[in-house]
Order: sequence, then structure tokens, then C-alpha cells
Amino acid sequence: MGKKITIDPVTRIEGHLSIEVEIEDGKVKDAWSSGTMARGFEALLTGKDPRDASYITSRFCGVCYSVHQMASARALDAAFGAQVPWGGTLIRNLVMGAEYIYDHVLHFYQLSALDYIDIMAIADYKGNDKELLAVKEKIIGLVQTKDTYPLTPRYEPDEFSVKDPDIVIHAVSNYLKALKMHAKARNMGAIWGGRTPHYQNIVVGGVTSYPDLNQIARFRTMLDEQAKFINEVYIPDVLAFGTGPLWPLAKMGVGGGHYNYLSYGSFEKDPSGKELVFPAGVVIGMNPANIKVDPVDTNKIAESVKYAWYKDNKPVHPYNGEQIFNLDKKDAYSFVKAPRYDGKAMEVGPLARMIIAKNKDLIGLVEKGAKPGAVARHAARAIETKIVVDACYQWIDQLQTEMTKPGFKIHDTDHWEPPSTGMGAGYFEPPRGALGHWIKIKDKKIENYQAVVPSTWNASPRCENKIRGQYEESLIGAPVPDPNNPINVVRIIRSFDPCLACAIHIIEPQTNEVKKFMIE
Amino acid sequence: MKEEKLESSSLLDVFESQGVDRRDFLKYCMATAALFGISEFEFTTKLAHAVETASKKPPVIWLEGQDCAGCTIAFLGVMNPPVSSIILDKISLRYHETAMAAAGHMAEEIAEETVKKGGYVLVVEGSVPSADDRFCMIGKRPFKKILEEAAANAAAIIAVGACATYGGIPAATPSKGIGLNKALPGKAVINLPTCPVHPDHLVGTILYFLTTGKAPELDSIGRPVMYYRESIHDNCRRRGHFDAGRFLADWNDPKQKDWCMLMKGCKGPVTNSDCPIRRWNDGINFCIDCGSVCMGCAEPGFYAGMTPLYTAESETSKKILAMRASGEYQKKNT
Repeated sequence: MGKKITIDPVTRIEGHLSIEVEIEDGKVKDAWSSGTMARGFEALLTGKDPRDASYITSRFCGVCYSVHQMASARALDAAFGAQVPWGGTLIRNLVMGAEYIYDHVLHFYQLSALDYIDIMAIADYKGNDKELLAVKEKIIGLVQTKDTYPLTPRYEPDEFSVKDPDIVIHAVSNYLKALKMHAKARNMGAIWGGRTPHYQNIVVGGVTSYPDLNQIARFRTMLDEQAKFINEVYIPDVLAFGTGPLWPLAKMGVGGGHYNYLSYGSFEKDPSGKELVFPAGVVIGMNPANIKVDPVDTNKIAESVKYAWYKDNKPVHPYNGEQIFNLDKKDAYSFVKAPRYDGKAMEVGPLARMIIAKNKDLIGLVEKGAKPGAVARHAARAIETKIVVDACYQWIDQLQTEMTKPGFKIHDTDHWEPPSTGMGAGYFEPPRGALGHWIKIKDKKIENYQAVVPSTWNASPRCENKIRGQYEESLIGAPVPDPNNPINVVRIIRSFDPCLACAIHIIEPQTNEVKKFMIE
Repeated sequence: MKEEKLESSSLLDVFESQGVDRRDFLKYCMATAALFGISEFEFTTKLAHAVETASKKPPVIWLEGQDCAGCTIAFLGVMNPPVSSIILDKISLRYHETAMAAAGHMAEEIAEETVKKGGYVLVVEGSVPSADDRFCMIGKRPFKKILEEAAANAAAIIAVGACATYGGIPAATPSKGIGLNKALPGKAVINLPTCPVHPDHLVGTILYFLTTGKAPELDSIGRPVMYYRESIHDNCRRRGHFDAGRFLADWNDPKQKDWCMLMKGCKGPVTNSDCPIRRWNDGINFCIDCGSVCMGCAEPGFYAGMTPLYTAESETSKKILAMRASGEYQKKNT
């Protein structure tokens, strides 16, 4: 029996997460991932006007804000029979594009970078770049006043930590710049989104924000500034880290997990919707030499509650859920359910998307010897940020052309009123991975609402077959030479960009009410 | 033009780094003083003193309960002064789950230590589950208990966002989230509702407290009067269309683009906040100007009292329609 340690709370993530690991011979032998907060959004939605759903579900999470608004609107579109006009789709894509850019930059700098650098190496910076010297002076000043919160305390740097003063000082300088850049990216989204976090413009049938040319110009100018930062700062930083000091971690594939990947696909390239910026697909047990991508069959999704705080039930499709909440259940250890695809635990998110897309930049890293894991996740995130920036340029051009056409539309107003009955699924690929919303409408009200969100896939506990969730599996074998300093554990977990508030919303009231659904 | 410094040791330096000299800085102070409704001289002196001698930064503990971290992200969006200068220069951010370097026991120890010493500003985001403590656990302890301990020694308590103030959306869920008004009965709490909190409201309130040592003047439900004095409706640029009876029905019609959103469910007439004047995201936009409606997120009735959100059929909307029919609004304006 190894030594058990618990990291609770895992910080610099969204939500409340507890990670317990068993360590033997300096390595993680077993792991348990536990979501420790719940609200109960689905129960709230039952009986409400279906249009409320896109506004309410946005509040699943304020970091990856509005991705649920988007998935929800898509579920409502399907249930209402609404056809979103191309103008509406373009504006939805543009505001979600801005959300991607902000979210990935925030994740790398504010949420992750501190795990990889020894910030105190700044003291050894010998260069004479005035900007960097100001950063040095700033940090030294904090140290001298003995008040370096919130940058310390921290887990101690290890052999993988970047200690090169030049790289570290650039990273810290860029950490400060990133604060400004991702705020500006959020402002860019607010041009049509209204404000952030939580856009206000995405509704069933399209969007509420009728665009004008001034907004187009403003968005394009702000996008230029973002593109410059992505291309000249963010991507070079990720490359400098990933192929430099972190290359050993990348080659070891620390944080790999099951090597099963899922993407629902997202972002239509044209009105036909046939071609997507992020393709859909499933990869089971990835073989780097020959990546085999299968089409997604959503009927193969089933959620297990065996180790979650719900009354026992067989694994069922989200549409067919029976959820009775049980806080006293023996062996349960999380509010997160355990979704499985064809019985397999899947990883969702940037790495899954880039593998499924067979992205040549990512494949190039793999060919050089990087294994899918924590470092590859950061690389995939950077690669796809650039893809989104490029797509935004195309969407903004397309929107400008579309606006000048007679009969330009942003909303399907004929399908604004809720149908008396209906059901629909909405799929979307937010920054953190595959997201599905399912709605059923009866008497013009929500009869039931379900969501299986990215962090439910990644952060899930074990299922009936005792298969670990992807966080848990990815921790197995991770080097933890000093149990008091489990820095590799948090590196791995944070590489997924956890977002726990949205992973844990599926709670039913203590009414013992049993809800049954038809499979789609 | 001065050399641009990325970071600086005081607010004055921040201004200087942006090319603002001391004179302009004092002007800014006076403008801010007027906004706060306190004597210009007193404010300017105090603020200048506060920012120049802030060697010992006031500790801040930011707790997250049943939250979505949206208020945290909103706070990170404050541009003037930049958030980095607030986090590193103005306050000593001891505990913030989403921002801090520390994790696990290390994080919990800092919180404990800071609470023991007292004298900190406590910022709370997210509601407190009242149905069962186990709906929100941090470090194996109920959030409710952590909050009560942190509140006991706080110099000031600021509730940010709809959830922490009056319960917000979680109030309508099975976990029965409650705001600090109910979770900490009898405690003085500064309420900054809206979903999420407006970053200016938060930074302004912190700055006010650091400068004067007091809470700003609050209304009957604990909101600073300086931000929540007037209704959204009274300052809405679509108000003329309301008075003229022009209501948006079709989002595709450019003619209707700026018409009143009342019939789509706008709660602006019964919601107090300076959103239409201050706007959001560095002044770029706000809910109504993107063709959407005010959801009433600055009011204790949000969300249960505001649903259905996108029609004029909620109890709140019915009340607004009745007020309009009786001519109450028109009278007030003439």
C-alpha cells in the first residue's frame, strides 16, 4: 500500500476539485478525482419556458462562459425546428471564436504557467531589456516586502521546472501582458455578445445582435491585435517550453491516460454546414503511427452513476436518465457522473480535436517523439487557437459580404415561440471539449433537460467496470518523488483545463422523483 | 513620453506609466471623489496618501462557494487601472482558488493564517447551499463553515454577483443556494449584485474602502448607492421608443434595431444599476445594446421572479406593463 495524498482544493481551475493519489516508489499508483460542489440546474429548468435554458445554462460556468448558451441554443433550434440564418451562425461563430482566444490564453498563462517556471529565477536575469528589467524590479520588490501573494506559496520547482532566467522573465512578462490580452479578447466578443462573462445575444433561432459595419471594423482591428499576440507571443512561448525544457516530460508522455478521444465537431465553414473547422470523430486506443478515426455515434454514450452520489442505476444514455440524488452512498466519491462511449472512458478537448483532425503540426510533434500527455495538451491548445484566429478572419469577411445581401437575416423569427412538444440535441465543441445538451419539451415547457459536458468526460470517477476516468488514468505512473511536493499531479490535471462547476450540475431534488426519457 | 513600465509600485506610478502626470492624477482623484460623493479635498488627500504609502497592502480573501467563477473572470477584465496592478500593487491577494499559485493544504493554511490575524477584506462569490452542507465542500470542510469563520474576523465583507448577494440562480435549484443576506444574518455586507459582478463596481468599492476605511453609502438592500441609484430604464437610450410605444418584434428588421425591448421581456424598468451609462467590457456594450433584454440580475428577485425571461409574461413584466398603462413612467419624466 502506497502513501495516499489528497490535493483539495486543486486551485487555478474553475470549480471545486479534489484529487487523491496513492504513491508508491515515487510514482502515482492509483488516483481518484472528485467534484465537490453541486447546484442542480436541470431540476431548476424543469417546467420553465424553454427559451430560458440558453440564458440559465450559460451560468454552468463563467470561465468557459456562453458555450452552454451555444449548445443549449442548438438543442432548442432542433426542438423548435428553427433554421438559423447564415448571418446568425456567423455571429455565433465569431463570439465563440473570441471566447476560444481568451480562454486558451488565460489557461496557458494564468492557470498553468506557474507550474512550469521557477519564478524566482528572475533574480538572475542579466539582460538589459527595459521592459523585462521593470518586471524583474517588480518581482524583486514583492519579495523584499515579503508579500508575494498570490504568486507564492507554491509547490517547489522540480527538475522539469524552467529555471533559465531569460525564458522565465519572458514568461512572467507575458503573463502580465496576457492579463490584458485576454480581457481584450473578451471585449471583442462583447461587440455582439453584449458583455462578458455570459453573452446575452445567443438565443434559439440565431442571435439578437444586428450587426453594422462599424462593429465589423472594430472586431477586425481587435482580431489583428489578438492574432499578433497569438502568433508572436503565445505560440512561441508554448514552443519554447514544449520543445525546450519540457521536452523530457513531452517524450515521457506524462499525463497520457487512456488514449481514447472524442470530438462532436464544430464551426460550419459555409451555409451547407457540411465542412467543419473542427471535424467530428472518435479515436479508440490511439496508435500514433496510424491514427484511425471513426464517426461519432451518440447512441453509444451512456452515463454510469456507480461511484457518484446518485441512487444506483444501470448506465443509460443521457436521454434515458434516471437520477435520484444520494449523498450517503457508500463507495461514491464524486458529484461528477461517469459518461462512457461504447464502454470506454474518453478524453475530450484540444488534444482530442487535433488528433481527430490529424493536424499536421501536432502530428509533427508526435513524429519527433512527443507522446500525447500534459505537454501535448498545451501544444494542441496553442495550435487550435491559431486555427480559430484564422477562421475568425474568414467569418468576419463572410459576415461583411452577407450583410450587404437583400433580406439579410440573423434570426429565425418564425420559430421563436416554443412548440407544444418537441425534443432536440445540441452538440458543440467548446474550448474544453465535447459538449452535448438534450432537451425535451411538453406543453411548451421544459419537461427535462440534460447536459454531458467536457469536464464530465475528463473528470469522471470510475464506472461499473471500474474503468478510471481520464484524469485518474492520466495520473497513473506520474513521477512524484516527494509526496509533499506533488507538482506533477497538478501539472497533469491543469493541462486538461478543468472546469468543474459545469461538470456537476446534474442533480435531482430529494423528492425521489423518477424521470424517464425516450432514447432519441 | 515616459518609458512605459509594465508594472509599478503604486497607483500613481500606473498613471505615470500611461503618460498621466501628477496633476492629471489629482484631477482623476477629484473626478472619482465626485463620483463617490465625498469632499474632493478629503478624498484627494486620502487617496494620494493611500496610494503613495501603500507599502503594507491590505490582505484580501476571495472565497468561492456555489459559483461559476464568472465574477472572477469579470474582475480580471478591469482595464483601468489594470488588474495586474490591483492584484500585485494594491492588495495582497492571500486566497483565491482560481488565481493563486498554492493548492491543497498549502492554500488552506494561508487562509487559516490570514483569518486568524484578521483585518482583511473578504470577497465572496457564489451562494451557500442551504439544503445540505455537502453540496459545497472545500478541503473536506463545508463551505458554509469556512465562510462563517472568514466572516467573523473580516474588516469588510463584499458579496459579488447575484449568487452571493441574494442567492441568484442557485436559489431556485434543489441545493437551495442562499446569499450572504441569509447565510450571515446580522453581518454588515456590501452587496454588488448583477450576474456577473461589474468589475468597476468591485474595484471602486474596494478602493473606496481602502481610502476611507468605511463602506460606501448603501441602499436598503445593501448596494452602494453610487452604482445602483437609478433604474436601467431611466438611463436606457431606447427610452424614447418606450415612451413612443415602439417595441422590437423582429431582430432581422434594421428599422427596429434600437426599439424598446419590453415585449421581449426586458426588466430594465424595475432593475437598478448604472449598466446603460457605465456599460460593460471597457464601455463596448451592454445587454440591451446587443438587442437582448435586461434580465433583472441586480435585483433580489433574480432569477425566480424574472422567469420567463424572453417574454413579457413574467409577474415582473406584468407589473411593468401595468405601470406603463397607468402612465406612471411618463408622468415621472414630464
